[in-house]
Amino acid sequence: MKSMKSRGGRSGGTDRGGIRKRGPTRTDRDGDMDMDGGGARAKRGRGDSGRLAAGGRVQSRDKTMDAIQKAISSSKDSSQVNIRQGKAGGGTWSDSPLVAFLERRMNAMTKSGPRAKITKSRVEGDSLVVFVRSDLADKMLRINGNLFAGIHVSVEPHTSAPSSTLDQDLASAAGTSASTADTKSKMTAILGKRYYPDTKLLDLSKLGTDPDLLAMGIFNTTSTESKFFPALMKVWEMGFTTSAQRREAVQSVSLAHNQLANISVVTTLAQTVPDIKNLDLSNNNFKDAQSLIGWRWKFRNLEFLDLTGNAFSADPSFKDTMLKWYPKLRILNNVEVRTAEEIAAQKKTPIPVQAPYFQDESKIGENFVRAFFAGYDNDRNDLINGVYDDRSTFSLNVNTMAPKAQQAEAAGWDSYIKKSRNLLKISHLPARMSRAYVGAEKIREVWNTLPQTRHPDLTTHPEEMLLECHPIPGLPDPSGQSETGVGGLLVMVHGKVEESVGAKIETRSFDRTFILGPGGGVGGIRVINDILCLRAYGGHEAWSPENQAIPQAVAPPPAPAAVQPGIPDGYGVPAPGKTDTQLQQEQLIAQMSSKSGMTLQFSEMALSGNGWNLDAAWKNFEELKAQGALPTTAFVSGA
Amino acid sequence: MAATNDDTLTKVSTDASTEFVQSFYPALQSNRDAIGSFYLPTPSTILFNGNTVADGAAVQDIFVNQMPPAHYEVQSFDCQVVNRAYPTTTATGVKPSAQMGVKDMSVLVIVSGHVRYGESRDQPQRGFSETFVLVPNPSADRGKRRDWLIQSQNFRLVV
Repeated sequence: MKSMKSRGGRSGGTDRGGIRKRGPTRTDRDGDMDMDGGGARAKRGRGDSGRLAAGGRVQSRDKTMDAIQKAISSSKDSSQVNIRQGKAGGGTWSDSPLVAFLERRMNAMTKSGPRAKITKSRVEGDSLVVFVRSDLADKMLRINGNLFAGIHVSVEPHTSAPSSTLDQDLASAAGTSASTADTKSKMTAILGKRYYPDTKLLDLSKLGTDPDLLAMGIFNTTSTESKFFPALMKVWEMGFTTSAQRREAVQSVSLAHNQLANISVVTTLAQTVPDIKNLDLSNNNFKDAQSLIGWRWKFRNLEFLDLTGNAFSADPSFKDTMLKWYPKLRILNNVEVRTAEEIAAQKKTPIPVQAPYFQDESKIGENFVRAFFAGYDNDRNDLINGVYDDRSTFSLNVNTMAPKAQQAEAAGWDSYIKKSRNLLKISHLPARMSRAYVGAEKIREVWNTLPQTRHPDLTTHPEEMLLECHPIPGLPDPSGQSETGVGGLLVMVHGKVEESVGAKIETRSFDRTFILGPGGGVGGIRVINDILCLRAYGGHEAWSPENQAIPQAVAPPPAPAAVQPGIPDGYGVPAPGKTDTQLQQEQLIAQMSSKSGMTLQFSEMALSGNGWNLDAAWKNFEELKAQGALPTTAFVSGA
Repeated sequence: MAATNDDTLTKVSTDASTEFVQSFYPALQSNRDAIGSFYLPTPSTILFNGNTVADGAAVQDIFVNQMPPAHYEVQSFDCQVVNRAYPTTTATGVKPSAQMGVKDMSVLVIVSGHVRYGESRDQPQRGFSETFVLVPNPSADRGKRRDWLIQSQNFRLVV
């Protein structure tokens, strides 16, 4: 492999970003930079912020690993070149203009033959590593010293030499080779020493002086240094079987004392532990908001942030910026910046959120909804035979841009998009006609092409669906007898829907409106209209009534409320020998169990773990359930 | 009523809902004095986040006097014909079907989008879902009037 490396004149400033070791080994790493033109080496470049995560773009972990792996494997058959470009001002630098520039320069030297092309490139530290065909290597080297954006670019062969095995191991931490397994087990051991399960703290401070990491030679080259943290995160993730467990395991992370000038090297933390509440970034080299910009939209649950010992803390806009970035932030640099009341007030909307409006005296709407979703999930043919007739209309539309709940992963829309009748996008009459399905047979046909679904159980998970219903007049009379039309029901449902696509479960949210009229179907009704809107999963917090700590059950289960399954006689009732505390606790447990559908045992765990505060226990329950962290045994079966 | 073919039904209903969506949300945003004009004089049910509102005048009053600035963005909407011969009650009683034209239909509209309350662009985007039933305007006034008015409305924040 021919390998080249280059760098440009640096413009001075602080250390570049990255976890790095201190002391004498710094020159080892800088050994890579010997071809640098005069003087620049002593002054290190400003933090080249951005890099792969510039502008907060989400980048998947797996893609990172893949890209690194590809870069390494492709280096076997092409030449690798390292280019450094100093940049004044420390702004985000993107490699693509530089790649285009390099290609232009090479083509200018090429008189005939195929056009010179950079086959691959990646940013590594403050260098750009590019791959070219071996025959282009000489031309590439001749670009050394050329001016790009006012800066001399230096080009030099890239050597990833002495630690190339480690390099590859880091890249393939998930792999199986013996040395990879060794690297992985070393990392697992390091993580084990740095994780405190009692406090759910992952302490990644002072990595640069960690003797185990130094022994592994992590910081000896730019390449291993930049791959180390993503690989560490990958290894951490591999320690968990479900993402819920992973999210649950860590509440606090410290990256203190790591000489970080920006977050580029550690950006994957936000994907690995997105839900952390406490983040310690103290005693690094963050000098402005830009150095943290990649985490602008991450860590949405952050309550505590420590940036003491960073120049940014002295910035006049520091507090306002951090308050703006992190809506739940309460403690910044160990000072309270928001009260709990202020945080609660943020959720208020100008129109208070009330319990659902459900005007349905004869329970027609409620019974319909229960039967509908059970039927839609289990036997769509039967459902159509029951309540759809030759004038029923069904259509669906997909809101691909809808706001989503934090943590929600966006599922694709392939199964729906060709049937979506979003009138903003479908403007031609023939398409508008063909995407509305009139009559039971056409509806059956389209339903049979739609993915299998699972809607929440209204009895055990009432909060996951919002049902509203009221009468409306002026509906068509199928018998044609009434001049003034007939009355019926307008039913609106919002909620969660799961789909199994192959082996995968996709979770989405839906809004579905029905108009029901009198007719010849089951229960004397017919579906006149059925419009379905699908969107990314948006949770159910939005319809939790604001003036009640505990959301009301959307539609009360038809079972008599007095009888609560799983509650033994005498439970929650005063009895000789029962203390007041015990009685109160039993009553709270019964209440929790009734609202949550959980067993007494799990309800007790939820309450005792939250200081017997029902509101806190409920909140905790909702969180765990949303994460899918509750086992089915937590719930009263058949409730 | 003259037999109306499916092309016409689709065209009239989708044009009606498009016109409605493209004028109603801008009015909520920047022409709140016009809000009342979108409603039937005696609507069936108007709901905002589970709160009932009596009529169009009351909706307008809430938006004019109580609501901060709001920025709406409709991201998806769809409609269906509910009753192609909606029994409009006029001054002279219910309109006989013999006098009905293609525009005498009622239309169900469902809208999905987001709203941002307050002036600042940093406020969160709240997802909403809104359902309307539009019915023919019963007013005999042939002047500058809307063809369809809101009979039922249900707004819900959903994200």
